[in-house]
Amino acid sequence: MNESTEVEILLVEDNPDDLEMTLRALRKANLANHILVARDGAEALDYIFGQGAHAGRKVENAPKLILLDLKLPKIDGKEVLKRIKSDPRVKSIPVVVLTSSNEQSDVLESYHLGVNSYIVKPVNFEGFAAAVQKLGFYWLLLNQPPQS
Amino acid sequence: MSADQPIKAWVREMNHLQPAVDDLAIVPLTDSAAKLTNAQLAELGHAQFAALVECSDDAIISKTLAGEITSWNPGAEKLFGYTAHEAVGQTMLRFIPPERRHEEVDILARIARGETLRHFETVRLRKDGERIDVSVTISPIKDPRGKIIGVSKIARDISERKLADHNFQLLLKEVTDLKAALDEHAIVAITDPKGKINYVNDKFCAISQFARAELLGQDHRLINSGHHPKEFFRELWATIARGKVWRGEIKNRARDGSFYWVDTTIVPFLHADGRPRQYVAIRADITERKKAEEAVRQLNAELESRVAQRTAELEAANHELEAFSYSVSHDLRAPLRAVNGFTRILLEDFSADLPPAARHYLERANLGSQRMGELIDDLLAFSRLSRQPVTRKQVPPAALVKTIWEELKPQWESRHVELRVDPLPDCLADPALLKQVWVNLLANAIKYTRPRELAQVTVGCTQASGQTVYFVRDNGVGFDMQYVDKLFGVFQRLHRMEEFEGTGVGLAIVQRIIHRHGGRIWATAQVGQGATFYFSLAGDNPV
Repeated sequence: MNESTEVEILLVEDNPDDLEMTLRALRKANLANHILVARDGAEALDYIFGQGAHAGRKVENAPKLILLDLKLPKIDGKEVLKRIKSDPRVKSIPVVVLTSSNEQSDVLESYHLGVNSYIVKPVNFEGFAAAVQKLGFYWLLLNQPPQS
Repeated sequence: MSADQPIKAWVREMNHLQPAVDDLAIVPLTDSAAKLTNAQLAELGHAQFAALVECSDDAIISKTLAGEITSWNPGAEKLFGYTAHEAVGQTMLRFIPPERRHEEVDILARIARGETLRHFETVRLRKDGERIDVSVTISPIKDPRGKIIGVSKIARDISERKLADHNFQLLLKEVTDLKAALDEHAIVAITDPKGKINYVNDKFCAISQFARAELLGQDHRLINSGHHPKEFFRELWATIARGKVWRGEIKNRARDGSFYWVDTTIVPFLHADGRPRQYVAIRADITERKKAEEAVRQLNAELESRVAQRTAELEAANHELEAFSYSVSHDLRAPLRAVNGFTRILLEDFSADLPPAARHYLERANLGSQRMGELIDDLLAFSRLSRQPVTRKQVPPAALVKTIWEELKPQWESRHVELRVDPLPDCLADPALLKQVWVNLLANAIKYTRPRELAQVTVGCTQASGQTVYFVRDNGVGFDMQYVDKLFGVFQRLHRMEEFEGTGVGLAIVQRIIHRHGGRIWATAQVGQGATFYFSLAGDNPV
């Protein structure tokens, strides 16, 4: 992805199937123009904090939405969430956990860490696509973020 | 006060008692006494003797060798109850109880031989017939030439002493009996203030297996088991040395090295000044009790460790189950979503290119993955129930049922379904879990009455063995009672998918919740006639 373009959604997803279906759902809703995909937690943090492969990127130039899977290689989703929400520079970025887990412990922990929304990926594709599109619309178009 | 004053006083006393010596009362008995004539001295001696006899508490009697009384002092009057007038000239026989008459003969015979009887204790009769204990000293009266001319007799009332003796004997016997009783029951030892053993009873010897001779002169270190710390005995000695009773349980070692436990009371016997004179240790054998206690303690410890082990195992199992559930919920659903999603995408994006049969199979694959998703969700919900704690609160079931009925409205609003709710007593249950029970039972009632023109659902309760039994009754399709055993099994279904949708987990969840409340659930039904589900919640008697 071209970094000069403003990234609207950071999609953190390791599963290629889920990734493809998410992207398709967003594309169908015309929300896929400014998406950056990170395939693990480390890559996501590199992008968010302008480090590693993304060294030099301005932290202030934040995405409008982060879609975050919980089960991720290297650094898991909760750790990513924790680092985002404990850094004043990026803590106002809306983070939506998009996961297969409907375990109460995961839900509770995510909210404790400051997640903005928690969505369980339905097995049913129609439900899944609808959920992705709805949350895209909500956070990108309806939600009013603070002025940077 | 001069030295002669007491003597003067004594003479004055005599004076009072003996008018015959009135004129002597003023005779000084000091140095001037030496100037008196022999005759005067004899007279004085006689007077003094007479005064002594007169004022003695003892009976002083004289009699002839034949036994005839010749003098009888006031002491005799008091002791025997006869005046001198009554007694003089009589023989002693009337004062002697019939069975002792022989004594007098014997006494007189001995006196005649010149013997003196000292403190001869016997019994005499008073004038009023009462018997009195007396101590008698009888001696011969001799004339200046040594010839025995009479008998002098001094009798003292010793009834009180006798009584005291008797009481003392009784007391002694009581003490001895008590000691015997104590010896029968307890292990007894007595030590001196330094702890040296100077008495042990048979029981002590028996339990310690030491001979008495081995114990006497030793101290209790001989049977020290080494079980108690030094402070234990320090405290014991500090207590009894202060004159206080010590109580406690002591483990001792017998001669053969075996151990025995004694419940011990040590009582210090004190000197008048409060210092311990000796220590009396009274013990009871509590070895068996101690053994039993030890066994109980060991059992408890074993039980605790077993419980701890089981708890750890259970925790590990729960942990594994959680990890398993987590992995099922997370990892099993992702590939299912791929199957479901890509079949759907195929249908959406390439529908025009696909023959109808291909579309049909894709639909089947899509539905299959969807159903598996539902099965996984229900299975997870079911397994989560085992881990969820049950927190009981008072719940009003009728209100709960009505709320749930409203929530289920989408499932019945397009049909004719009547709900009747009888008055229901409150129950003690976990509100969230109990709600799940009612939801599943009511949803089932709605589902399985679907073919009915007018569906009727009744919620009520009965009493069985003091417990409230709630029930949900419907007029639906019912089921065959021969399959009732399968009703509550996970993934068990009594109807085909095409008839009634479902995963077969709902009633398994209901049963698990009821069981976790310690309650019971069962059902009765008839094919085509409807079904009734009953449940109770144990420990639930809010009335």
